[in-house]
Amino acid sequence: MTTANERITQELRQRARQLLESGQVAAFVGYTSGSMPMVMQPFVARTPEETDRLEWNSFCVLNLANYLPALLKSLEPPRRPGDPPPEGPLPKVGVVATGCWSRNMVVQIQENQVQRERLVIIGISSRGMVDRKKVLGLVGHADVTSVKEDDNSLLVKGPGLEQEINRWDVIRDNCACCVHPDPVIFDHMIGDLKGERKLGERFKQVEEIENMSVQARWEWFTSEIDSCIRCYACRNACPLCYCPTCFVDDSRPQWVGKSIEPVDTAIFHIIRAYHCAGRCTDCGSCESACPMGIRMRILTKKLQKDVLELYGTEAGMSLDTPLPLSTYKLDDPQDFVLTESLKGEKK
Amino acid sequence: MLDKAGFEDWLRELAGQFEIFGPKANDRGIVNWQKLNEGELPDERPGVPKGSIKTFFFPQPETLLEFSARPGTEDAFIPHEPGTEHKPRLVVGVRPCDARSVVLNAMPYEDDPYFHKNRQNVVLIGLACRQGCSTCFCTWTGGSPVGTEGLDILAYPVSRGYVLEPVTERGASLVESAGPGNDATGAELKELEEIRSKAPSSLPETMELAPRLREKGLMDLYNAPFWQQLSDSCINCGTCTFLCPTCYCFDIQDETLRGKGRRIRYWDSCMFPLFTLHASGHNPRGEKVKRVRNRFMHKLKYFPERFGPLSCVGCGRCVRDCPVNIDIRQVINELLAT
Amino acid sequence: MSDIAKKQAEWQPKIIAFLCNWCSYAGADLAGVSRYQYPPSLRIVRVPCSGRVSANMILDALRSGADGVLVSGCHPGDCHYISGNYYARRRFAVLKRFLEFVGIEPDRVNFSWISASEGEQFAEVATEVTERVKKLGPARHLVKEF
Repeated sequence: MTTANERITQELRQRARQLLESGQVAAFVGYTSGSMPMVMQPFVARTPEETDRLEWNSFCVLNLANYLPALLKSLEPPRRPGDPPPEGPLPKVGVVATGCWSRNMVVQIQENQVQRERLVIIGISSRGMVDRKKVLGLVGHADVTSVKEDDNSLLVKGPGLEQEINRWDVIRDNCACCVHPDPVIFDHMIGDLKGERKLGERFKQVEEIENMSVQARWEWFTSEIDSCIRCYACRNACPLCYCPTCFVDDSRPQWVGKSIEPVDTAIFHIIRAYHCAGRCTDCGSCESACPMGIRMRILTKKLQKDVLELYGTEAGMSLDTPLPLSTYKLDDPQDFVLTESLKGEKK
Repeated sequence: MLDKAGFEDWLRELAGQFEIFGPKANDRGIVNWQKLNEGELPDERPGVPKGSIKTFFFPQPETLLEFSARPGTEDAFIPHEPGTEHKPRLVVGVRPCDARSVVLNAMPYEDDPYFHKNRQNVVLIGLACRQGCSTCFCTWTGGSPVGTEGLDILAYPVSRGYVLEPVTERGASLVESAGPGNDATGAELKELEEIRSKAPSSLPETMELAPRLREKGLMDLYNAPFWQQLSDSCINCGTCTFLCPTCYCFDIQDETLRGKGRRIRYWDSCMFPLFTLHASGHNPRGEKVKRVRNRFMHKLKYFPERFGPLSCVGCGRCVRDCPVNIDIRQVINELLAT
Repeated sequence: MSDIAKKQAEWQPKIIAFLCNWCSYAGADLAGVSRYQYPPSLRIVRVPCSGRVSANMILDALRSGADGVLVSGCHPGDCHYISGNYYARRRFAVLKRFLEFVGIEPDRVNFSWISASEGEQFAEVATEVTERVKKLGPARHLVKEF
């Protein structure tokens, strides 16, 4: 008997091989497994043979949209500034996409980072991915040497360790509260579309913090980020972060200090998250990449919640809906504006 | 030989003289270097703590000098030594790989007064490894699970406590201060012998890598075809470099604020866009593949050519925490095959 | 009055005010010309439009030691650049909620619409913001120290 993920792997390899063999794409972006259990390696297959290395399992957590802009650019013929744009269609890239990643691709298309016609998207409706850190937490951060996956369970092994874990106990936080598992844009689907998930407590993690006092919230925030080493894995794992010069590298003015002093770390996390406002699809790549176990996803989730509440839109749901912070309505809520609230008081 | 209670008492005594640090689990279960409170012993779980020991010798950030930044005042912009002095530090539970990194970093930092001042101020008490992790490979890099390089004292964990072996003079005087301790039983002596003679089975077989890599042609390795695919998956974050004990690159910056100024040195990473960026705007390592190559070539080729050993101690932190599973052991194998 | 309470009453916060050149900046000028009293706590930064003000600038003010921030632009519909303040409104609405979420007091960061003819309103807002920040006391959370 094969598991759902094994079946997806087989079909994925076939599709990718077809695309590369037929010359429809110049490269295919997926995952392969490396030396560490539970850490998948994003992988660019450039020949049909290489597609045999593609794999799909519950640890495919790093957002593949992240690789697209640079990869697409690398496939263009070299150009000097001022040269005319190349004639004819440019080489395409194949890529796997679940709900959130496809929405990131929508955002990238809307922000002119990639072109839809240069992508061949293989859609997969996500079952939710597993949080490696949760698994490690359950086994006391022991040395794990292998993890065997079944449809609903994981068998974790290491020296003196053999433990079966229910997959759904260690699902990533963002997957647990995901309502859009289906790809929004795709050219081929593997498996069926699942439809929207009905979920009562989509923003539970955020609401818990909202309900604290302002001082308690500050304490939560600072303790959440206090182990940050400023490695920028969260930033670099994020498909929204493509600025040629990140604000942390600006020197005139310098917005934020370079080391791990608490104020600088706090400002880094505030601005990093805020830059994702109205654009974040809650793919959880940042949190999965963090070596220190910081849950910075809660910050972007808060922004997602507010944008939905205030403007009724979510990032990347459709190519035709503009990103919420790149548009406006005449009657947007403005009770936060002091002159408006004072007016209200006077009345 | 000190039993656990004796070791605890000894630390309590030393707490008058030193700030004591050691591996300790935080509320998320992640073991990292933290101040040990009275009565706390270092976490002894196999493997290395999350962060490396370089934080004690190469703090993030280190204030190099201070100055007044009020133009017009008498001492404006005249630098002076920073006023912050802390108690000498004692770090317990240091794995031999981490300790060895200090010796390796001292090679390029030979003339660095800040690094050496920190070295004088930090005493390292090692903890021999009875068990390795799947990510450990000190035996490839010239280290050993019972290595003493860089340590002042090496503690061998036996059933009742620790057998202390002084390595340096200051280590010896500290061991003396512990008193005679308990007599080791025959079984404990046997344990000790076993730890010393038998490497943990999880460690890979010993390899003399440095001479083999030194022999390779530099340009052959530089132009090896595997770099492109290796860098494909890299996201250019600084996890590997910041967790690495032997990554010692830094940048320097003057910060001024409300009339005060200071010059700090903080960790830099070859993965970052500002690394080796010229004032002209040109960057010789401007692309991802060049940055990735630089990190590994520095550790495995440039450093050995200049100083002899690899600039890697095989602690496995980069392997364990790389978000995209880039494995330096695979890079080593690729280089050996080139 | 105890010494501490006295000190608190005398303490003047430092508030960085980012004012749109086309409205609030002129409003501040009008307040001065018309001799409306308001506390001397504002440090004014003239910007071309409230849409120019980014989160970075607001956080930089706090990091540098401002006790409060005020961003003031044109009334919706009156933007010199047609729509700058509409975009700003969305950005600030989200930012304000977000800063509150991470534990910055709601009254630290303020927004207002003041036209060039509203000198009196400018003085009112300046007084109101100063009072609110005074109640909070000096900012601590995001102030860089060394």
